[in-house]
Amino acid sequence: MKAELRGNSSSISLQNPSLFNTTQSSISGALKECVGSLDGACIEKLLLHFASALESNDVTLAQQVMWVLNNVASSIGDPNQRLASWFLRALISRAARVSPPTINFDGRSALQRRLMTVTELAGYVDLIPWHRFGFCASNSIIFKAIQGFPRVHILDFSITHCMQWPTLIDALAKRPEGPPSLRISVPSWRPPVHPLLNVSSEEVCQRLTNFAKFKDVPFEINVFEVPPLSTMDAGISQLGSSDLYDLFLNQLNPSTLELRDDEALVINCQNWLRYMPDEQKGSTSHDTSCRDAFLEIIKDLSPCIVTVVDEDCDLGTLSLASRITTCFNYLWIPFDAFETFLPKNSPQRIEYEADIGHKIENIIGFEGIQRIERLESGINLSKRMANKGFQSVPFCEETVKEVKILLDEHASGWGMKKDDDDMLVLTWKGHNSIYATAWVPCSYGVEY
Amino acid sequence: MNDSTASGDSSPGNQTTPPKPTAKKKRNLPGMPDPEAEVIALSPKTLLATNRFVCEICNKGFQRDQNLQLHRRGHNLPWKLRQRSSEEVKKRVYVCPEPGCIHHNPSRALGDLTGIKKHFCRKHGEKKWKCDKCSKNYAVQSDWKAHSKICGSREYKCDCGTLFLRRDSFITHRAFCDALAGESAKKNTALAPPSADEDPKIQTNLPPSPPPAMEAPPSPPPLPVAAPPPLQASSPSAPPSTAVLSSVLPLHNLELPESASHNPATTRILEETPMVTDSPVNCSSNSLSSNNGSTSSNVFASLFASSTSSGILQSQATRFPDSFKTMAHTKQASDVALCTSSEPISLCLAMNQGSSIFKTVGQECRQYAPAPQPAMSATALLQKAAQVGVAASNASVLRGLGIVSSLSPSSEPQRWGRQEIESEGASLASGLGLGLGLGLGLACDGGSALTELMLGTPSVFGPKHATLDLLGLGMAASGGPTGGLSAIMKSINDGLDVAAAAAAFGGGEYSGQDMGRSS
Repeated sequence: MKAELRGNSSSISLQNPSLFNTTQSSISGALKECVGSLDGACIEKLLLHFASALESNDVTLAQQVMWVLNNVASSIGDPNQRLASWFLRALISRAARVSPPTINFDGRSALQRRLMTVTELAGYVDLIPWHRFGFCASNSIIFKAIQGFPRVHILDFSITHCMQWPTLIDALAKRPEGPPSLRISVPSWRPPVHPLLNVSSEEVCQRLTNFAKFKDVPFEINVFEVPPLSTMDAGISQLGSSDLYDLFLNQLNPSTLELRDDEALVINCQNWLRYMPDEQKGSTSHDTSCRDAFLEIIKDLSPCIVTVVDEDCDLGTLSLASRITTCFNYLWIPFDAFETFLPKNSPQRIEYEADIGHKIENIIGFEGIQRIERLESGINLSKRMANKGFQSVPFCEETVKEVKILLDEHASGWGMKKDDDDMLVLTWKGHNSIYATAWVPCSYGVEY
Repeated sequence: MNDSTASGDSSPGNQTTPPKPTAKKKRNLPGMPDPEAEVIALSPKTLLATNRFVCEICNKGFQRDQNLQLHRRGHNLPWKLRQRSSEEVKKRVYVCPEPGCIHHNPSRALGDLTGIKKHFCRKHGEKKWKCDKCSKNYAVQSDWKAHSKICGSREYKCDCGTLFLRRDSFITHRAFCDALAGESAKKNTALAPPSADEDPKIQTNLPPSPPPAMEAPPSPPPLPVAAPPPLQASSPSAPPSTAVLSSVLPLHNLELPESASHNPATTRILEETPMVTDSPVNCSSNSLSSNNGSTSSNVFASLFASSTSSGILQSQATRFPDSFKTMAHTKQASDVALCTSSEPISLCLAMNQGSSIFKTVGQECRQYAPAPQPAMSATALLQKAAQVGVAASNASVLRGLGIVSSLSPSSEPQRWGRQEIESEGASLASGLGLGLGLGLGLACDGGSALTELMLGTPSVFGPKHATLDLLGLGMAASGGPTGGLSAIMKSINDGLDVAAAAAAFGGGEYSGQDMGRSS
């Protein structure tokens, strides 16, 4: 059998019928049928087969699944096919254990694959309400919580490079009593995930400062250094090390953060908590996970409000098979959303899907400390917060109304659910995607 | 694991749920369908039938069950017949009849009939409803109505020329836009009402929508401009003038002093607004293909499955990014020129798009009179794969490999091909490797952006290396976790030029270390 080299590379999709012409017709027919009417349930089952194959070391089955998936997946097909192609990649990465993933989650190399400009990022966060929902809900809660305080300090833990704040600054500028003095602190370290900027944090801070000045809001923003992290060479630093998180947590103290007594402290966790490892570090009951430690630390800073927004899905410590299914049954949402208003071959869409592909790759392809995407659903997060001594702050009618208005302005598939007043959930065609909550330490006496 | 035939959907409800009386509503965890829900699969014809609910007494048809029940009461039925049967209380979820659709899967079912109807029309139906102000078409009447309400009603324009339909996206963009730096110098604090700037200023047909987000009710806007009612046609004289006054502001994005020098400006605005109405549509659709990423999100975010943009992009992908960039930096006049020229194109393309991509509903009704062909099940596919034995798949996957190889120097894939034939264990692995190669090679054809995306930085991971990489897996498999796979990897390993593969990856730096760390 000879390897026939094709002269042209014009065929993009593997579903190219000519691909099957030379094979046994029964197989090509079968695959053609599958391709022609690709079904999410079918893919899900294939993925499950794969997971069980990995767990039972069934190499043959693993290969077969990959072969089938390979023939149905397409990164430019319909959403099912696209999602399948990213899953396939993640599975390959996992099965082989050696194929370089598109990014290394140990902090090095290829992540600088795609950098956005700040204006691109501004567009990115508004393309679908995935981020804007959280911004809107959190800003509204924060706005309400800081009423009466002349000075406000926000600790911003997020992955979206301060995209949340212009609308808050704008709202504060319009208050009848005038804006408070606003100070924002961001850490110099963030998880190595998209979105990534082609400018430094200092540049972002500078622009935000200009904007606040333009709006006549007394404003200060600083990046608090997590010194050992920033001086670490990319080749040396390893996200995988729990030391890194310890170093980060160590910086969260009143003196490094320069907390001032006359300021109302706001802590904003926006797509952040899922990057705090939730595995128990030690075996004794004394040892808590990094996530729990983080929560304890921020509680001890006596914030007047803590907003927590994250993806509503449980992908922390499940078995591989459960993770594969759960991940598949969750991440179809952004793929479907992109499908509704970005064309098939839009480079923007392909990039966004690739970002999600990275996420999938991390969730499926890695274990232990390198698996940084540790999503936790809103319900479970709420239990965790309660355990750590926080009480939830209910969403008032105004906030709910604002969020509804926001969603009305987006495509009609987006909706919202309110769960018992203290959790707002963004839904896509009825399926949960993002939750937003707000908390205060139990000892805090303010009623809302 | 879900058996697709019996499972229901995940969290029900679309938008707001009614307040729960006493018991806490049990939330379905994401991704875990409600097993008690009844999955209903309707044929397209039934789905789209407008009067599904028929009164058994007089045969009058109704669109909604509630309406039917109300009507039945009017018949003065005896007590027994008035009761609804208990099984109607059961939760129902609906799947889309279109086999390839993501909602065909019961675990993606939608919780209400109207939702699935709308989805079916939007996604698989013909767009019969056309907006007269812009070129957008809709399959569902309510979408069209919703769009018409806001079409052209509110625009925010940044100094850089980008247009936004939503205030929060405008504000966020503006905060980081380069144009702001020059703006700070021009800021005029004489403008008394701070809320007047950037407020959406509106043409006369503004619907009574509530003020944009972040204008918190506790702070009532000092000017009536923010409140829609004064801007209705029947408003008194004073508000319209202020409305028009502040309509200057978003378009120019300046803190203009509230002097009387606005008449010329006003006239200009009124003249310009029609153009501005049209331009967001076309300009933003253009911008989809560029990475400015500014207005596209806003205009299209309000759509649900519009294919207009895709039509434009597909035919003009190469031209538009440049023209948009130019557009963004030039005066509005050129905006208009560009947009008006593209408008007819977009209309024409939309029509083509509609017919080619979406089957008409009528057509589907004919096709779906019998039940649609079921998709191959996963098990059946795997059986096929087993029958094929991965060796036989080589013909197709090699062809696929050929696709990959064509982008790369041909020597190594050829060599690989020969060795692959020779080595006995390699035939199994070839399926694995080839599958992998295809998975990655697939992306090679998709243009440079995609290639880069899928393969990482070219220096590390060119197409040639992709194939080697996958077969060069063996090289690093010494630390491999699973016995079976590593045995296979080793067999490949023996047959390959390991050194070349190693060199391809920058000294093998990634491999050993990754191996160590990835477990």
